[in-house]
Amino acid sequence: MELCLRDVSKTYANGVRALDSVSLTIPAGMYGLLGPNGAGKSTLMRILATLQEADSGSATLGELDVLHQKVEVRKTLGYLPQEFGVYPKVNAEQLLEHFAVLKGMAERRARKGVVEALLRKTNLWEVRNQKLGGYSGGMRQRFGVAVALLGDPKLLIVDEPTAGLDPAERVRFLNLLSELGESSVVLLSTHIIEDVSELCTRMAIIDGGQILLETEPERAVDELRGRIWRRVIGREALAALAREHAVISTKLLAGRTVVHVHSHVSPGDGFEPTEPDLEDAYFCTLAGHLGRRRERQASGATP
Amino acid sequence: MKLWEVFRFELAYQARSVRTGLYFAVLFLVAYLLTRNSIADSRNGGTLANSPSVIALATVICNVLWLLMASAVAGEAAARDAQTRMHPLLYTTPIGKAAYLGGRFLAALALNALILLMAPAGMLLAVLAPRVEPEVLGPFRPTAYVSAYMVIALSTACAATAIQFSLAALSRRSVTSYLGGVLLCLLSFAAGAVANLLHLSTLGKLLDPIHLFSNGLVARGWTPIEKDTRLIALEGPVLANALLWVGIATGVLVFTHRRFRFAHPSVERRRGVRHDAVATVSVGAAPVSLPRVQPTFGLMTRVLQTLGIAWTSFRAIAKSSAGLVLLAPIALLVGLLMPEFMNLGGVRLIPRTAQVVDLLTAPLAGSPQFPWALIPLLIIYYAGELVWRERDAGLNEIADATPAPEWVFFLGKFLGLSFVLVVWMALLAMAGVLGQMRMGYFGFELGLYLRTLFGLQLIEYLLFALLVFAVHAVVNQKQVGYLVAVLAYGFIAFAPRLGIEHRLLIYASDPGWTYTDIRGFGASLGPWVWFKLYWAAWALLLAVAATLLWARGTERSAPARLRSARARFTRPAAAVAATAVTLIVSAGGFIFYNTNVLHAYVTDAERMSHSAEYETRYKRYSGIPQPRLTATTLRVEIYPDRRAAEVHGVYRLVNDSAVAIESIHLATSAQVDTKLAKSAQVDTKAISFDRGSARVLDDEELGYRIYHLEQPLRPGETLQLTFDVSFEPHGFGNDGADASVVASGTYFTNVNWLPAIGYQRNRELNDPAVRRRYGLAARPYVPSLDDAQARRIRVGGDPIDFEAIVGTSVDQIAVAPGVLRRTWTEGERRYFHYVTEVPVNNQYGVFSAGYALHEAQWQPSTGSGPAVAIQIFHDPRHAVSLTRMVRAVRASLSYHTERFGPYPHNYIKLIENPTRGVGVHTEAATVEYGERFSLMNPGDGPQDQDPVFAVVAHGVARGWWGMQVAPAAVEGSGLLDRTLETYSAMRVVEETLGPEQLERYLHFMRVEGEARSRAVPPLLRATNSFAFSRRGPFALYALREYIGKEQVDDALQRLFEKYRSGTPPLPTSRELYRELQAVTPDEFRSLLHDLFEVNAYWEFELEQATAEQTAAGLWQVTLDVRARKVVVDESGVETEAPLDAWIEVGVFHEGEPYLQKHRIRSGKQTIVVTAPQKPTRAGIDPRHLLSALREVDGNSKAVRIKE
Repeated sequence: MELCLRDVSKTYANGVRALDSVSLTIPAGMYGLLGPNGAGKSTLMRILATLQEADSGSATLGELDVLHQKVEVRKTLGYLPQEFGVYPKVNAEQLLEHFAVLKGMAERRARKGVVEALLRKTNLWEVRNQKLGGYSGGMRQRFGVAVALLGDPKLLIVDEPTAGLDPAERVRFLNLLSELGESSVVLLSTHIIEDVSELCTRMAIIDGGQILLETEPERAVDELRGRIWRRVIGREALAALAREHAVISTKLLAGRTVVHVHSHVSPGDGFEPTEPDLEDAYFCTLAGHLGRRRERQASGATP
Repeated sequence: MKLWEVFRFELAYQARSVRTGLYFAVLFLVAYLLTRNSIADSRNGGTLANSPSVIALATVICNVLWLLMASAVAGEAAARDAQTRMHPLLYTTPIGKAAYLGGRFLAALALNALILLMAPAGMLLAVLAPRVEPEVLGPFRPTAYVSAYMVIALSTACAATAIQFSLAALSRRSVTSYLGGVLLCLLSFAAGAVANLLHLSTLGKLLDPIHLFSNGLVARGWTPIEKDTRLIALEGPVLANALLWVGIATGVLVFTHRRFRFAHPSVERRRGVRHDAVATVSVGAAPVSLPRVQPTFGLMTRVLQTLGIAWTSFRAIAKSSAGLVLLAPIALLVGLLMPEFMNLGGVRLIPRTAQVVDLLTAPLAGSPQFPWALIPLLIIYYAGELVWRERDAGLNEIADATPAPEWVFFLGKFLGLSFVLVVWMALLAMAGVLGQMRMGYFGFELGLYLRTLFGLQLIEYLLFALLVFAVHAVVNQKQVGYLVAVLAYGFIAFAPRLGIEHRLLIYASDPGWTYTDIRGFGASLGPWVWFKLYWAAWALLLAVAATLLWARGTERSAPARLRSARARFTRPAAAVAATAVTLIVSAGGFIFYNTNVLHAYVTDAERMSHSAEYETRYKRYSGIPQPRLTATTLRVEIYPDRRAAEVHGVYRLVNDSAVAIESIHLATSAQVDTKLAKSAQVDTKAISFDRGSARVLDDEELGYRIYHLEQPLRPGETLQLTFDVSFEPHGFGNDGADASVVASGTYFTNVNWLPAIGYQRNRELNDPAVRRRYGLAARPYVPSLDDAQARRIRVGGDPIDFEAIVGTSVDQIAVAPGVLRRTWTEGERRYFHYVTEVPVNNQYGVFSAGYALHEAQWQPSTGSGPAVAIQIFHDPRHAVSLTRMVRAVRASLSYHTERFGPYPHNYIKLIENPTRGVGVHTEAATVEYGERFSLMNPGDGPQDQDPVFAVVAHGVARGWWGMQVAPAAVEGSGLLDRTLETYSAMRVVEETLGPEQLERYLHFMRVEGEARSRAVPPLLRATNSFAFSRRGPFALYALREYIGKEQVDDALQRLFEKYRSGTPPLPTSRELYRELQAVTPDEFRSLLHDLFEVNAYWEFELEQATAEQTAAGLWQVTLDVRARKVVVDESGVETEAPLDAWIEVGVFHEGEPYLQKHRIRSGKQTIVVTAPQKPTRAGIDPRHLLSALREVDGNSKAVRIKE
């Protein structure tokens, strides 16, 4: 089972080009979609979740045409939107069971079993009789996962699920996702790099509606090995440094600024080599040192 | 400053939205249309289209519609921050609560005031538009618009905005303000109900927050001149109302200010219940493996999904604050108040289930009535909440991504609302049973509850609910959806007023159903089912459309929704749509065939034009000599099973004119609806004479035929006319099926069915303005009192000898005028042979039903004449008043025989006609009454009034007044029959039951006669029934209290002696007046004049009454009174007339009260009276002799004792 996107484009009525010929091949397993705010992640997720129309292109899940066979896709879809609410006056068990029915679990005993298992799995069993209006953000998010997991989906779309979760909740949440069967396509969109590095076997970086990089996290990091340099400077020196070097990220550390630059050779000037991580890969991609932007720049430079 | 910024921002924000523009447009349009409608009314003789009362009424209607828009405006202003989750940003800024709430409230109020300005704007445009003729308009007076806007619109706006704003602010949900609007409507209706039930109209006006009810009442008592000129002023109850509601608004706002917190809205923190939401997390719990369940998507699953959504939807609505919490108390209240509803002028009715379900049900179409107009509004609210439930909760993306098809969501939600309505029907049924139990009645007909509530009424509501769902689904904008739905409801309710009458065009409408114990549903159910089937098919089509356009996903644009609709238009959807269309076409076609082919479909306008046509074509024959009908012989065959009847009749006609008559003019049943001849299913055929004749004119359409006699009918000669009339139902019309002949409860009259001789004046149009429109000459409503020609014409025509053999099915009894000679059965049919021995009126009914017959006899005490058989034909279940009726008949016969002379007939029949109302109608020797009358159950205690007795006594009196003394058909004729009958009934009550019962009967009549226009002709020239049945008897009663009852009795006796022969010249009101003058002493002549010759109204007010004990131990009572007399002419011009007359003054204490006449002048004065005992109450004209029709009782008060 593979999710294949070919040239999916979407332009909003106000002229914003949210997706620009997006093509991806997403195999079974966890797949991370990384990108800054406004990159087009949620648009892509909603299109794949049958909630929005694409202007052009195609998407297939195995034999299924995701863009047009909505009814069929929904039968095997799990979707956790970026933002969602709940009926405040209903308890978790009732609402989950309601969704189980909507997802086609007709047989009562089996449905009860699934609901119980999911509530236990998402650690909501103890609080299943509480009104959802009283749930904390993390509990609500886990409830969302429980809904998304109903019906054993072949395609699971999870849109920025960890934003706003405390570290402990986030860990629990990622554990949950990681347990998902390897047979399903799990598409996780996020702007938190650790989510991807911890979970995903494959990933893509998207910005401005375009896929900039499609790779495996380790490969991306490998590619950068020896090309990332680090230096700790005072805040006032940053502007001058940025003029001379390809700064890909800056970070504050105990009041001083840690600068990462991309360079094939040692930039000298007090820079020391550092072991690259996925974050460096992400910023390099956005800055055009890696992935399609670099290719385009290269091809643009030598026509 | 901060307040200004909040205000400015809010106003600008809301003013920019498209929705606000829509509100402006809709209100403008509605005001415009209402005024165009008034202009049309005005052309037909109504009030001037720009008169203050019309402006005020339009303002009120616009206000009610505005309430809905206001709830969006106020709700938005109050709760937008919480709902958009902007509140953390705003609440943490240093604005104070006062500035925040104040600014928002004022912005909402300002915007509302602006929106409301559209009402006067629309009205003005409608009036100023070209082609409005100046006759329908009064002078242009800006103050009329300004005062309506300021007094009605703005005071409502203050109260409503405050309440709606506060509800939304405190609940932090904008939709709560919609409930506030519904609440205000409910309150207005409740104020109306309070005023009606308890007769406290001032209180009603005071309490009514939206003037919906009180304004109608104001205008009801106004004269035409007042309606055209009087401004709605901020005075009296209107001022008090404005003050009260502005006060309440302020209080509500202060409360809101105190209760409102700049805090995060907490979801679950009520009444100390706290849910500890932090879960105990078991770290390291063993991994749970998910059982694999294969989802199925068969029909079973779909059913389950639909039911699942239905159940959660039902729970959401039922548990909400507008759900069962609201509905159950309403039902309970209806049950508890049942005795108030099951009441006729203060007398309890037996709460039979037919009456109770009539109370509990209400058709969607037609003017909304309390409290049932609430239900469609709640349906609109519920449907909106359900359609928007996922989106309001933010759960829509998850729900939309589930594999349930759109129709499951649509159907599930619709079913959920249906469950709510089913519960509501169950609650209503319980309320009905509870009410019956409260009244000590235990004959519950649960089957009837089931059929009417769960069958008929529920389907009505379901169809409407589906429409509202479709509206919400298609409009896809919540507030606009509400607006469109309410407009749709308004259209359904008021479509005929907008000129749309055909029920194929008014959603969910039907010709209505009726249920009475005698008839059951009669013939009303068949057409009902067809219309409902037709509309159900439309509903199905709407459901398909709604499903196709059902909002799913995040695409909101119209093209995207149309695209997805096209994708959803699958084969099954197409099949359902095709089924719906097929049903619409076939049911609609069948209905159309019935209403427009089998029946001539005519609008009101066409009906009027037919009547006008009749007059223009045939009026020229109205004066020509025609023979007089002297005897009728009928052979009637009624076939209840197939709802058909055949009449074979023979008329004996006599030429009693001085010339030979060459041609006979006949009025027969008309093919097209005219004013009277409505039934196109009555077929007149085989007309023949006993001498050679030729038909020279046959206008089947209007029902006019002329036969030329080969040998003219010479004076004194007799002619026999034979005819056949058959009645066969041909399906049904737009108003349902003709119910003349039904399985049980057949009732038809000769006026509607049988041929009549000559031109029929009663088929002419009456209304002067309508006549003008059709170019007909002006004519008096009835001939003038001075019309000497008309004094030969008897009201109701000349009496006839009558004989009939009526056949019906074997289990029924048929009734016609006359004594029953013989009854026999032939096979499955039973025959009744009736013969009159004394001529009766040529206005009679023929009945056939499963009657029970109660028989009694009356023997004249003097032995002067034969015994009279008393027969009561009644529904076997309506037997409660039989002995009471017999007693009344006997008492009335005795009284009248003794005083005036023998009763002309040897029988009297009381017949229950199969209609639902009270419907008491008297003809010679026959009193008809409706179902409600038969259920009146007065108590037997000394305090209980007994209108049944009085009304029957009244009916019997027709044997003397009307039959023996027959008035000429001119103005004031009713004074000689209805007034004298009523007065005689008062005398019978007084003589038989005692003076206290007479007092109670007078009170009963007064309660029935409140708040009428004073601009009417004086009694001697009166033409309306209120004058004859109320003002006339009151005037006679007042007179006798001044000159003595013996004097009045003598006058009536002399009148009777002079005119008992019933031969021309016939008496008029002048003859009665002359007799009264003869017995009135000079000092009361002016009073007599005021009572009969002019329209005089006395107004008394007791300002205060004090009492002081004198040294002798007596009590000196001082009354400060104000008195006034006005004379009102027909157009309503009031002239104050000097008052200097003897007026009764009363002081009440233990024992006999002090009642003496004092000389009273106009203006303020003080009266001092000495009383032997400590007084309790005092009053001027305390028994309402002269002020019987005053609405407000200021005549008497409790006496204040001075120490």
